[in-house]
Amino acid sequence: MSRLIAAILFTLLALGGCGQAQNGQGEAPGARELVIYSTTDIEAFQPVIDDFRALNPSIEIRYLLMEAAELDQRFRVEDGEGGSGADLLLSSAMDLQVRLVNDGYAAPHHSTNASILPGWARWRDEALGFTFEPVVMVFNRKVMAGREIPMSRPQLLDAVRADSAFWRERIGTYDVAKSSVGYLVASQDARQSADFGAMAEAFRDARVVTAGTTSEILARLDRGELALGYNVLGSYARAHAERSRDLVIVYPSDYTLAVARTAVIPKSAPNAPAAHQFLDYLLSVRGQRILTNRSRLSAVRPEFDGPYTRLGITETSVGPLRPIGLGPGLLVYLDQQKRERLLALWSGSGR
Amino acid sequence: MTARTTSLRTRLAGTLGLFFVAGMIALYIGALSYARLAADKSYDRLLAGSALSIAETLSFADGQVQVDIPYASLDMLSAAPDDRVFYRVVGPDRKTITGYSDLPNGQAERRSDSEAIGQFYDARYRGEDVRFVSLGREIAQPGRTGWVYVQVGQTRRARDALARELVIGSLAPILLMTVLALFVVWFSVDRALRPLGRLSAELSSREPHELSPVMTPVPKEILPVAEAINVFMHRLSGNIEALRSFIADAAHQIRTPLAAIHAQAQVAEDGDPDEMRSGLVAVRRNAAKLTRLVNQMLSDATVQHRSDVRDFAEFDLLATVRQSVGEAVPSTEDSDVRFTSPLREAPIIGDRIMIGEVVKNLIQNALTHGRSEHGEVAIELVASDGGGYLLCVSDRGVGIPPAQFEQVFERFARGNSSAPGAGLGLPIVRQAVVSHGGTISLANRPDGGLVVEVMLPREARRS
Repeated sequence: MSRLIAAILFTLLALGGCGQAQNGQGEAPGARELVIYSTTDIEAFQPVIDDFRALNPSIEIRYLLMEAAELDQRFRVEDGEGGSGADLLLSSAMDLQVRLVNDGYAAPHHSTNASILPGWARWRDEALGFTFEPVVMVFNRKVMAGREIPMSRPQLLDAVRADSAFWRERIGTYDVAKSSVGYLVASQDARQSADFGAMAEAFRDARVVTAGTTSEILARLDRGELALGYNVLGSYARAHAERSRDLVIVYPSDYTLAVARTAVIPKSAPNAPAAHQFLDYLLSVRGQRILTNRSRLSAVRPEFDGPYTRLGITETSVGPLRPIGLGPGLLVYLDQQKRERLLALWSGSGR
Repeated sequence: MTARTTSLRTRLAGTLGLFFVAGMIALYIGALSYARLAADKSYDRLLAGSALSIAETLSFADGQVQVDIPYASLDMLSAAPDDRVFYRVVGPDRKTITGYSDLPNGQAERRSDSEAIGQFYDARYRGEDVRFVSLGREIAQPGRTGWVYVQVGQTRRARDALARELVIGSLAPILLMTVLALFVVWFSVDRALRPLGRLSAELSSREPHELSPVMTPVPKEILPVAEAINVFMHRLSGNIEALRSFIADAAHQIRTPLAAIHAQAQVAEDGDPDEMRSGLVAVRRNAAKLTRLVNQMLSDATVQHRSDVRDFAEFDLLATVRQSVGEAVPSTEDSDVRFTSPLREAPIIGDRIMIGEVVKNLIQNALTHGRSEHGEVAIELVASDGGGYLLCVSDRGVGIPPAQFEQVFERFARGNSSAPGAGLGLPIVRQAVVSHGGTISLANRPDGGLVVEVMLPREARRS
C-alpha cells in the first residue's frame, strides 16, 4: 500500500522534478540525482550510500558534507531564494533540525519503518532520528598514567579541581560556540546538571582545548596530547578505541546523553521521491545493519535488543541513558538570549 | 377502492428517521463547538502555563529586557506531541526581544488586569492554524516602566484530535440509540397493528347477513374505526330492514286487488248477467288500482334511480308541467283539473323526467284523495321570492290531519288507511324535490281540501 502510494508520489514528483530541472541552477543535476546535505563524515557514510546504490542503481547521489550550522544556513538561504538545493538533510544538530520542522520547512515521511522508531527519535513524522549515539568521555590510559579514571561528571569535577596542573591543556571538547553538536550536548548538560557552571569554570581553569569535530579530539587523544575527550560522540570513539588499546570509553554514570542523527526532507526537495526512498532505506533493517556494522554508527531501531545490548554495555555498568528527545523543547537553547547566556556561562564572560 | 396503499411502518420509520437525522446534525454541530471549547480550555491552560513560566523570567538589566526561556516552558507543550510551538517576547518599544519576530498579533493589546491571565486567539501562521496566548507584564525600572508581552503559540493538531475524540465519544452512543430506536419502531408497528388484524379477521369470518356490532376488543386509538364500522352496520341493517318491509308491503298491496279480481271474476262467472256486469266493473276498478300501484312503483324506481344519477340539464318547467298535466289527466275522463300560470316560460336546471313524475304524482294524489262532488284540482306555477318556482296543487278533498303530515311521506303509509291509493305518491314527490334542493310543504285549506306547495330552486343544488 505505502509502496503503491510511494510509486504514485514518485511519478507525480518526478514530473514536477523535470520542470524544475530545466530552470535549475548551473549545476544541471540529472533527473534522478539525489542531493544530500550531511554532517556525517563521508568515510563513515560511504558503505550506506554504496549499499543503497546497489539496490537503486538508477539514483545518483551527490553527498555534500558540511558543518551543522552551515547546513542549516545554506538550506534556509537556498529555500528562501526559491528552490532547495537539497533533497535530504542529515544533521547531528537535532535542535537545528527541530527548528526547521517547527518553522514549517519539512515534509512528513510516513512509513512502517518510521513508525517503529522510539518516540524520542521522531517528531511529527518530519524529523526522524536514524542513529543512536551516546555522548561519552574518552580517556587515554597512557596519559592518565595510573590515575583513577573518573566514571561520572562529579568525579571528573573533583579530579580536575584537585589537580588542575595535571589537567592543564589535557581536556579536549567541542568548541561550544562553533560546533552545533557541541552546543547541543552542552545545552543538554546545562539542562541536566546543576554542576554545569562549575564544570565550565574547572575546564576553563584547566585551559580546555576546543575542537570543531569529534575526529579531531580523538586524533589528539590518540597522539597522547590529551588525557580526556569530553562529550565525544560514542560512535566515533568506539571505532578509535578498537584500533588503540590506550583509549578507554566511559559512559558517565550520573547520566549519559545520546544524540540521534536526524533526517529532514524539505518540502521544497526537487527529488522528494528519491529522498523518501533513501530515508526509508536508512530506517529499514538492512540500512540500519549497514549503519551499525560498516559505518560504526549504532542503529536507532529498537528491535530485538535494548540500546545497551547493542552498544555492548549493560545498564549496571553505566548510568541512566538519556536520549535527547526530538521536540519543541530543543528550541529553547536556540533562543538568542538563552544562547548568549549559555555561551557566557561556558566562557566565563557572563555575570 | 383503495386508491394508494401507504405503509404505516415506512411512514413512521421515515418520520422518526428524519427527526433523528435532524437531531444528529444539530447534536453534531453542538457537540463540535462544545468539544472545541473543551479541548481549547484544557490545552489553553498548558499554553498559559508556558507563557507564564516565560514571563516569570522577565527582568530589566542594562536598560534591556532580559528573558531566560525555561526549558520546561516549551517542553511542557510537547504534551501535544506533534504540535509546532512558537513564541515571542515583545518589549515596551514593540520590538521583538527574542523569538519569532513575525508572529501575528491578537486584538489590540490593552493594558488592564486581564493581561496577567492572558488573551487567547487563533491565527494562521506558517501554513497552519495556531492557537496563541498573549500575556502582558509590567516591568518597572527606576524612572521608567513598560509593558512586555509574552506570546506563545501552538498548532491545533492535538486540540483538534481531542475535539474529534470528544465528538465521536458523545455522538456514538446517540447514533447507536437512534439505530436501535428505528429497529424498535420497525418491529413495534406490527405489534401495535395486531388489533386491526383481529378486527378484520372477525369481519371477514362473518356470515353475509350478520350485521350485529363488532365485539372484538380494540385499543383506544382504533376505537373510532370500530365505532364507524358499527354505525355503518347499523345503518345498513336499517336499510335492509326497510327494503324488506317495502317488498312485504308492496306484495301485500298487490295481493289485495289481485284477490279481489279473482273473487269478482269468480262471482261473475257463476252469476246472472246483471251480477256479471257489476262484477266486471269491479274487476276493471281493481285492475285500474293495480295499474296505478304498479305505475307508482315504477315511478318510485325511476325517481330513485334518477336522483342517484343526477343527470341535470336546463329545460322549461312551464312546458313540462303542462305536458305532465296532460298526461296525468286522461282526456276521456271529464276532469276538473285546471292549470294556471302567470309565467310565459320557466327555465330551470334539473331532471325533466323527475319533475314530470312530481307533477303526475301530485295530480294523481289530488285526484285520488281530494275529489269530492263539486271539487276541482287547481295547479298553479308561479315564480317564488328566492328566484325559484312555486308549484301549488290544491284539491277540495277532506285534507289530512296536521298530525299526520310527516307520516304521509313514508312509503305505504297513507293518510287515511281506508282511502284508495298505494301510499307511494308523496314519498316519490318528496324524494324528487329534495334531490333538486327544493322543499315541500302541506297545508289544509280552511274550507276543506289540501294544498301541496313545492318550491324548486332555479338551479338544483346538491343537497
